[in-house]
Amino acid sequence: MSHEKAQKTQNEVPTGNASKSSITDEELAEAMRSEREELEETWARPSGVWGWFTDTDHKAIAKRYIVTAFVFFLLGGIEAALMRIQLAFPESHFLNPDRYNQIFTTHGTTMMFLFAVPIMTAFGIYFVPLMVGARDVAFPRMNVYGYFVYLIGGLLLYAGFFLNTGPDAGWFAYVPLSGPAYSPGKRVDIWAQMITFTEISALVGAVIVIGTAFKMRAPGMSINRIPLFVWAQIVTAFMIIFAMPAVMLASSFLASDRLIDTHFFNPAEGGDAILYQHLFWFFGHPEVYIIFIPALGFISPIIITFARRKIFGYVPLVLSLISTGFIGFGLWVHHMFATPIPQMGESFFTAASMMIAIPSGVQIFCWIATLWGSKLNIKTPLLFVLGFFAIFVLGGLTGVMLASVPLNLQIHDTFFVVAHLHYVLIGGSVFPLFGAFYYWFPKWTGRMLSERAGHLNFWLMFIGFTLVFFPMHQLGLNGMPRRVYTYLPETGWGTLNLIASIGAFVLAAGVLVFIVNAVWALRAGVVAGDNPWGADSLEWSIPSPPPNYNFHNIPVVQGRYPIWQATADAPIVRGLNTKKRETLVTSVMDAQPELRFDIPGPSIWPLMVALATAVTFIAGIFTPWAFLVGAILAGITLTCWFFADPNYENKSARETGEKSEKVAPRVELQPKEV
Amino acid sequence: MIETTRTIPRFILTLVVALCVSSCGGIQNAINPAGPNAENISRLWWLMFIVCSIVFVLVMIAVLLSLRQRTTEAADRVPLLQPSEESERRRRNVVISLTTITVIVLFVFLIASYSSGRSLRLNDPTKNGLTIELTGHQWWWEVRYMDVDASNIFTTANEIHIPVGVPVMFSLRGADVIHSFWVPNLAGKKDLIPGKISTIWIQADKPGVYRGQCAEYCGLQHAKMALWVVAEPQEQFNAWRQNQTQEAVAAASDTQKRGQQVFFSSTCVMCHAINGTPAGSNIGPNLTHIGSRHMLGAATLVNTRDHLAQWIKDSQTFKPGNRMPQNNLSDADLQALVEYLQSLQ
Amino acid sequence: MSTRAVIDITELPHHQFDTYDPVWWGNNLLLAIETSMFAILIATYFYLRQNFALWPPPVAELTATLKPLPLLTYGTLNTLLLVLSCGPMILTDRAARQGSRGVCQIGLVICVLCGLGAIVLRSFEFSAVYFRWDSNAYGSVVWFMLGMHLLHLLVLTTESLLLTIWIFAREFDMKHRVDIVTVAVYWYWVTAIWILLYAIIYYVPRLG
Repeated sequence: MSHEKAQKTQNEVPTGNASKSSITDEELAEAMRSEREELEETWARPSGVWGWFTDTDHKAIAKRYIVTAFVFFLLGGIEAALMRIQLAFPESHFLNPDRYNQIFTTHGTTMMFLFAVPIMTAFGIYFVPLMVGARDVAFPRMNVYGYFVYLIGGLLLYAGFFLNTGPDAGWFAYVPLSGPAYSPGKRVDIWAQMITFTEISALVGAVIVIGTAFKMRAPGMSINRIPLFVWAQIVTAFMIIFAMPAVMLASSFLASDRLIDTHFFNPAEGGDAILYQHLFWFFGHPEVYIIFIPALGFISPIIITFARRKIFGYVPLVLSLISTGFIGFGLWVHHMFATPIPQMGESFFTAASMMIAIPSGVQIFCWIATLWGSKLNIKTPLLFVLGFFAIFVLGGLTGVMLASVPLNLQIHDTFFVVAHLHYVLIGGSVFPLFGAFYYWFPKWTGRMLSERAGHLNFWLMFIGFTLVFFPMHQLGLNGMPRRVYTYLPETGWGTLNLIASIGAFVLAAGVLVFIVNAVWALRAGVVAGDNPWGADSLEWSIPSPPPNYNFHNIPVVQGRYPIWQATADAPIVRGLNTKKRETLVTSVMDAQPELRFDIPGPSIWPLMVALATAVTFIAGIFTPWAFLVGAILAGITLTCWFFADPNYENKSARETGEKSEKVAPRVELQPKEV
Repeated sequence: MIETTRTIPRFILTLVVALCVSSCGGIQNAINPAGPNAENISRLWWLMFIVCSIVFVLVMIAVLLSLRQRTTEAADRVPLLQPSEESERRRRNVVISLTTITVIVLFVFLIASYSSGRSLRLNDPTKNGLTIELTGHQWWWEVRYMDVDASNIFTTANEIHIPVGVPVMFSLRGADVIHSFWVPNLAGKKDLIPGKISTIWIQADKPGVYRGQCAEYCGLQHAKMALWVVAEPQEQFNAWRQNQTQEAVAAASDTQKRGQQVFFSSTCVMCHAINGTPAGSNIGPNLTHIGSRHMLGAATLVNTRDHLAQWIKDSQTFKPGNRMPQNNLSDADLQALVEYLQSLQ
Repeated sequence: MSTRAVIDITELPHHQFDTYDPVWWGNNLLLAIETSMFAILIATYFYLRQNFALWPPPVAELTATLKPLPLLTYGTLNTLLLVLSCGPMILTDRAARQGSRGVCQIGLVICVLCGLGAIVLRSFEFSAVYFRWDSNAYGSVVWFMLGMHLLHLLVLTTESLLLTIWIFAREFDMKHRVDIVTVAVYWYWVTAIWILLYAIIYYVPRLG
């Protein structure tokens, strides 16, 4: 596709490698025809049940993540509906306190660990390779491992829940309540080990995203041309790397206090209940940004596409993402203002918690500046983005209120916080997520979702959400604490609770409309071409759904908006093997071609290692010896993984037998325009 | 589409007004302050609420205004990659100004918050002041009034009396798990953490009853771990306190004596103390003056004969999972016990 | 007849040392994760220390010393062993880059032996701490530190052993030369982390 600037001069296009050559159109067409068949065979996905367990295609894994996470979203939503039914009337007997406590714990745990983080990871796994012009992610087998570990963790939690031995100490499980003395049985152990699974999965996803985004970008995609979606994923991935270890320690210390009598949190032997809070929230606060920042990466491409102009403030937007990531690590104590920690430190955390509003504000202003004066096509994705503005901004403002220590001491641990957190998480993440569903559904499936149903979906969700959560601000100020299975009629909280409960069903109806829309569209939706929205980024330059190998020829990128800025005479990358899975590895800053990287094919070993991990941590709920046995199993399966031939399934790999060990000479790229 | 973009603000406005009108009073309400701490915080709340509301409205107006130009053209119209220098410069200036305003507003909030926090910290509050040791249990409040003179120290449960206009120091402990002491009309909350001692001072400026509730999830009956703070004029408070330091009223009538017998021969004596009798267990709430308490079960039920009887017989119906067992007493025994307990004024 | 410019990457290698290779990034990101974990663990150590008037806490049976300090012998030996083992590892690293198989084979065998020695010494270090993991918070956190590092020693030694076997029995190709260089980075990291942990576990209690 070209536009009025299509006649960019040759010297502003990155020129090639040590060997720059040219090819006639006829020769190219000839090569493409036979190559396409070879590529399809080389990148063919294995079929059948065995195939499902061994497939390494990043798009397949990502779609699995999305479906699984969405199922957990629905389960979490059902839990929420049950809670709202119970709270609709004072002294209701719909749920007994034990059941309610398991439900609110499972709701929070499901939404935070089994839905929000995995689905954001999934979008990264699907789109980062496509947006940067790669044929696969950097570590495909690790990707498979990450998915299975996540699935097993989720199944573990729900096995516990459905057997009436689900965790009931809240999604952050404070000690001593969650400790051995006050939470007997295996409920909390199930929670603690589930954390391990989901945390391993997230860490693995993060390593993959960074590896792909840093090293596998198409030539020409220098660091200042990386799409904002990919920037958001990169920042999130780094946050995961530095935050997850804290929750790993928190849950491991808790599990070992419970299982083998350590005393990390036992005040009688020098342990400390507040230590747990520090460890958990050092992870917990970045966690919410891990959920939120990818959604910011959805908003930019949607705005760019529907405003049909370049984004205003690319650099401030990138810097805002990065600074949000940094500052996000300095806020955690604001969850602990009511504890007897030294007051001097509290002011620092107030200041940091308020300061983080600045980069968020900058992003909002830049987005509004992009929308302003542009002719907007208000399709469903953009509608959800507008919903984000309305809801997230309000949530961010209540966040600034919560940042203030004195005010926090009134509204902490009340329904005001429940309102705030849902405003920022649903407004800040779920609304953009639904926008992303409508936006990218055509790319995944080749079909468009219905716009009319989309608008209905949006309004039901928006109105339902407001009915549920706006009254909760008032309830918190009126003295209603969190995590209460019921309340007395004299408190007067009945009316607002009833409104909230009614709203829950409106919200649920909205989600239902989405499901119906998706199911219908899969069969009868309008067929989408490569680029139904006329968007600018590379994923829209390949068919919908993409072929297994993504790109036949790795493109050369000529600007921040690759499709819009592509010239007819842009070079293409030639030379990647079609008989063996390969993609191009380039340098971090300038995307200089560096390696032809072998991509492993399907393999059973990631599943095996996942099962070894499962044995370790599930049996570890019952006995510490599980760790020894599990370690041995993991060692064996990992050995097989790393020493198995990565292209084993791919017989033709053995036929090529080429080895090239020369070092790539340094290539000078011409200065290029952004 | 044009319709809906104008009805959104109207809808929101109606909702907001309706909700604000619904309740601004109440005895467990953070924005109905009855003491200096809550008053202080309430002022901060209104400042932030008003400023944040204005910011929200302005941002929404900006978003809505940016939607003025709409199109349904096909997706292949030429994208704007080279906007004019002037429009970009304008945008840059606006974004920089708005960011600056954001920083300033946040600074104002920071200072307001800091100065509010400073006034919440009382200097040397324990001099000649009343100190109460509050211990959180699953799922009730142990209240111990401290005094220099040991004979004035007494323990009660779930109902705290304080004199009006005087700061009262609370020393907070968690006996089992983390709880949180929160009486919204009077002050913000403070956690009771096992292994740590935290403190908070509270002052009521108006006489009245203020309801508080545990504000940190503490297990099965977190929802029904509430308490009353009764603020009364100094003389009334002194009288109440004087009465509380006395030992239990001796059983007078036959029924009361019978009730006392029932108390000692059932499981009651295993957990509950009645000062001046052999019952001295502090596992459960102290019952020395139970007759004069307004509520039962940590502010779950009003303290009437009927309720007390039902509570003793089967407290699990009101507060399932609480630590008190059912007591299968005969009707006569139960009535006698209730009679006795109600006499413990 | 029109032509298209082509960037021909046929001549590019498949593997390369250091930042060129995605494996370098994967390895270092995993090390970043583990470094964060140890940093937080160390913070936990100092946090818990605040709860103790005497660290480690006193024991009635030991009348000679008020505080049962961890014995220095095994820990110090272990530190020396690990630091010295970096020597052969550096030589192996260099040899892998230059392509000399023999040096790599010998170097790796020495390193594996050092790793095994470190694991054996570590098992003695646990009892040098005086307290068990379930005695008190001090015991819990120190055993956890020793244990997490032991886990890394085990993984490191096993990985080195498998690589050693491979380069004896199979090819000494570019892929495995890159793997050797990767293991070398891991080796240096395990040593560096240990030096930090050694200083903390053995000397912070001696600070008084």
